[in-house]
Amino acid sequence: MLEALWWGGFTVLGVWAQYFFPGVDFYAPGLILCLQEGRTKLALWLALIWIFILEGPGSLAFGYGILWYAGLCLLYAAGRWVFHAKNLLFMCLLGLCMGLWHYLLILGLAELESVDAPTVRLLWDGAWQAVAFPLEWVLLNRLYPERLRNVSAL
Amino acid sequence: MRAKRVAIALLVALFAYLSVYTWNLRTKHIDSLANYTGLEFIGLVVKPGQWVADKAVSFWNRYIYLVGLREENERLTQELEQMRMSNARLQERAAAADRLEKLLLFAPSPSWIEEGGRVIMHRIGPESVLETLMVDKGRLSGVEEDTPVVAPEGVVGRVLRVGATISSVLLLTDLNSRIAVRGRKNRSTGVAIGMGPGKDGSEPLLQVRYVNLNAPLEEGEVLVTSGLAGIFPAGLPVAVVTAIERSNVSLFLTVRARPLVDIERLEEVLLLLRDPQWREEKE
Repeated sequence: MLEALWWGGFTVLGVWAQYFFPGVDFYAPGLILCLQEGRTKLALWLALIWIFILEGPGSLAFGYGILWYAGLCLLYAAGRWVFHAKNLLFMCLLGLCMGLWHYLLILGLAELESVDAPTVRLLWDGAWQAVAFPLEWVLLNRLYPERLRNVSAL
Repeated sequence: MRAKRVAIALLVALFAYLSVYTWNLRTKHIDSLANYTGLEFIGLVVKPGQWVADKAVSFWNRYIYLVGLREENERLTQELEQMRMSNARLQERAAAADRLEKLLLFAPSPSWIEEGGRVIMHRIGPESVLETLMVDKGRLSGVEEDTPVVAPEGVVGRVLRVGATISSVLLLTDLNSRIAVRGRKNRSTGVAIGMGPGKDGSEPLLQVRYVNLNAPLEEGEVLVTSGLAGIFPAGLPVAVVTAIERSNVSLFLTVRARPLVDIERLEEVLLLLRDPQWREEKE
C-alpha cells in the first residue's frame, strides 16, 4: 500500500515538475532508484506507465519513451561494471549521458519523421536534464521510505 | 558466448522496435492509445491545479485588486459602444456580400461552429519538441486533427493530437507550421512559416515564403488566411508584416511577420469545427 502511494504520488508530482520544467524527464531518476532497490518487475510496470505519460503530450510518433528508458537501463547496467550502484559520481555521469541521449534521440526521431526540431532548445533541454537527474536522484534517495528499502539489493 | 547472446537479443529487440515503430507510423494506433491515456492523465492532474489557480486569481481581481476599476469600466463601455456601431456597419456589408454571392451563383463556403476552449498548459514533457499548447477540448467535443484554433486577435495554430477531452495544438510559430496567407490590402499570396521559439526572450516570428518579387506588399500590412490549403477558413488575421527585403538571387521576396496573437498570454481559444450539416451536403 505504502509503495503504491509513494510511486503514485511521485508520478503525479512528476507531471507537475514537467509542467514547470518542460523538456526534462523527472521520472528517469525514479526508475533508477527502483532498479537500485532491486524492484525490476515494478520498474518495468512503472516504465510502461511513464512511457505513455511522456508520449501522450509529445509531438513525435510513439517510440521516444521506449528508446529513452532502454538507453537509461543499458547505461545503468553498463555503469554497474565500474561503479557502485549508488555512487554519486556514477549518477552525475548518468545524468550527463542522458542529457546527450535526449538530444541525439529527439534529433534522430525528428529526422525519421521529417520534422524540424529546434536544436538550440534541445541542447538546453539536454543540459537541464543532465543537471536535474543527479539532483533529483539525491532527493529521492533521501526521501524514499526506509520500510520499502531492500538492503540486500545492492 | 554470453556476449553473442546479448548481441542477438539486442538485434532482435531493435528489429521488434523498428517493426512496431513503422507499423504505428502508418496506422497511428499506439499514438491514439497514448493520447487517450497519457494525455488524458496529464489533463486529469493539471486541470484541478489550474482550477484552483484560476479561482485564486479571479478572487484577487474581483475583491482585492479594485484599483482603477471605475476608469476601466468607463473605457470599456465607450469601447463597447464603438464596437456596436462598427458591428452594425459590418453586418450590413456582410448581408450585401451574401446577396451578391447568391446573385453570382457562388458555391456556399463551408460553415464553421465555434467551440470555446481553455488553454491548460504549454509544452510539457521531454518529447514535446514542437511549439504546442494543450486545450481542454477533445474528441468528445467534436475536435479532430487539423481543426483550426483561433483567438480574438488572430490565428493560434491547428490541432496536432486529440485525446478524449484534451488536445494539443501546433502553434503557428513552430518550425513545422505552414499557413497559406494573403495580404489584406494588396491580396498578394504566400505561405507563413514559423521560425521557432523566440531567441533570448524575443518575440517569435514568422517568415512568409513564395511571395513573388513583383507582388505588392507593404510593411505593416495584415496577413490573413487565404483558405487555399483547405484547413483554415479564409480571412482570419494571422500576422503583420514587419520587414520586406528584395533578394538579388531569389525569385521571391524575403518577408518577416509578427504573429498577432500573444501566445504566452493566451488563456482561451476558439476551435473552429466544420458544420456537420455542410459536410453531409458536400458528401
